[in-house]
Amino acid sequence: MSLSAKYNMKSPGVKRLMREAMELANPTEEYYACPLDDNLFEWHFTVRGPPGTEFEGGCYHGRILLPSQYPMQPPNIILLTPNGRFEVNKKICLSISGHHPESWQPSWSIRTALLALIAFMPTSAAGTIGSLDYTAEERQLLARKSTNWECATCGRASERLTAAGGSPELTQEESSLLKQIALKAEEDTNRKEPNVEQKEDSPSSQTNRENPEIRQRVIPSTNDVDSSLNTADSLLQDSVDRTNKDKMWAVVIWLLLSIIILLLIRRLFFL
Amino acid sequence: MGDEAQTTSTTVSKEITSQPNQDELILAQQRQIEKEISDSTTLVGELEPISSLNNEYSSDEVYLDKVKDLGEKYKFIRRTRPDGNCFFRAFSYANIERLLSKKEDYNEFYRISEESKDVLVSLGFQQFTVEDFYDTYMEVLKKLKNIENLDEAHKELHTTFNEQGFSDYMVVYLRLLTSGQLQKDQDFYSCFIEGDRTVTDFCHQEVEPMYKESDHIHIIAACAALNTGVRVIYMDRGTEKSCTAHDLPEGCSPTVHLLYRPGHYDILYL
Repeated sequence: MSLSAKYNMKSPGVKRLMREAMELANPTEEYYACPLDDNLFEWHFTVRGPPGTEFEGGCYHGRILLPSQYPMQPPNIILLTPNGRFEVNKKICLSISGHHPESWQPSWSIRTALLALIAFMPTSAAGTIGSLDYTAEERQLLARKSTNWECATCGRASERLTAAGGSPELTQEESSLLKQIALKAEEDTNRKEPNVEQKEDSPSSQTNRENPEIRQRVIPSTNDVDSSLNTADSLLQDSVDRTNKDKMWAVVIWLLLSIIILLLIRRLFFL
Repeated sequence: MGDEAQTTSTTVSKEITSQPNQDELILAQQRQIEKEISDSTTLVGELEPISSLNNEYSSDEVYLDKVKDLGEKYKFIRRTRPDGNCFFRAFSYANIERLLSKKEDYNEFYRISEESKDVLVSLGFQQFTVEDFYDTYMEVLKKLKNIENLDEAHKELHTTFNEQGFSDYMVVYLRLLTSGQLQKDQDFYSCFIEGDRTVTDFCHQEVEPMYKESDHIHIIAACAALNTGVRVIYMDRGTEKSCTAHDLPEGCSPTVHLLYRPGHYDILYL
């Protein structure tokens, strides 16, 4: 094995990652992760969008960057598939990942981080680092598109998960942990309440920015799924155009109204 | 009107995007401080005479008196890195060190340690990760057990505890054992926990994460987990001439002696 030549196999951190790689070697229905061929400290993963949410049917791919001090310090998670919940290509804020090192525990693992990510997706973004506030429709659309998304190193991400069954049961500690994370998000929402309102207008501009990127990433293929995606795509564009048009009309109406009022005032007071 | 609304919204969104930068700055600064500490102090230092403390307090009468008092009771001090893990690292080190010269006690300690994993798993800890820390912990204990020459064993212990990977694994496992002890005797320990946290919450927030500092409750539980007692010598700005000593648990015959200065533990030798 080339890995044993490259890494100090006696180091507990390396041993731990090898052990985790063995544990996660078989894909499950919900998640799959494995280290890159040439780097034990960078992994790629795929998670399935949680059923019953706007991410249902989506397959999201990303990178996990492990600090040299892992597991003493938390892994960093970066999503690559556009999803409408987290920014892509940016370290995301999860109470168990890199941006909150104080609450990470060495007895958690990459598996814990992935389960937390899945559990965290449907929670409110509320202006936390790397979060996006897309509408449910936009997210559903992105979920459908995500099955065609391809990673340059791993290929089509959705094919990395098994079709059904096979995910190991959660241990008692894991399920209580996942509840903890949801709670944490809740607290964050309350604290950052004042920002939420002001942020309201940004999704439309973000959609505008994201859109060309999303379209580039859809793989041109002849199957019929694609045509439905294209129509949906134009729908999305339409809705953005419509909000822009609405704004323009509002300005015109205000202008006309103020002119009329001005004229009225002139009529009343000066003549 | 419309223009005005738009400019305010852009400044607001600027503020929002600048928040993560703030966070990142704080994190960067924190890492910088951690790096300075780790560059200047080894994880576990060499034996030094008590008088070496005088250099730290050359113009501080209150402390100088106390160092003098300490020097009458103890011969040496062994410093540990102040990274929030100092109690666990110091305690684990000092406990193993004293056992090295008592073969029988060491074997008994080894036997109890061997059984500890099953106890933790039965308490609901994740088997997969507990096993990881347990394996390394036992690997170290086994290696030390098999060294006949006492000097060599001491040297091995010192090297192991100064290798970040192994040293941290020893700390994590002692943290897990402490957490296990707290949860096993929840009824007793719950009286000492402030706020409306459960013992399990407390363990998740204050015991199991690395770099979390230790309080009385950690020490008492850690002593119970390793079946031994600690004497903590408190050295602070109090006006009395001598340091105060506390035996934990109360009334025990302490086997490990630690020096406590606000926020930090070092090992003491008689």
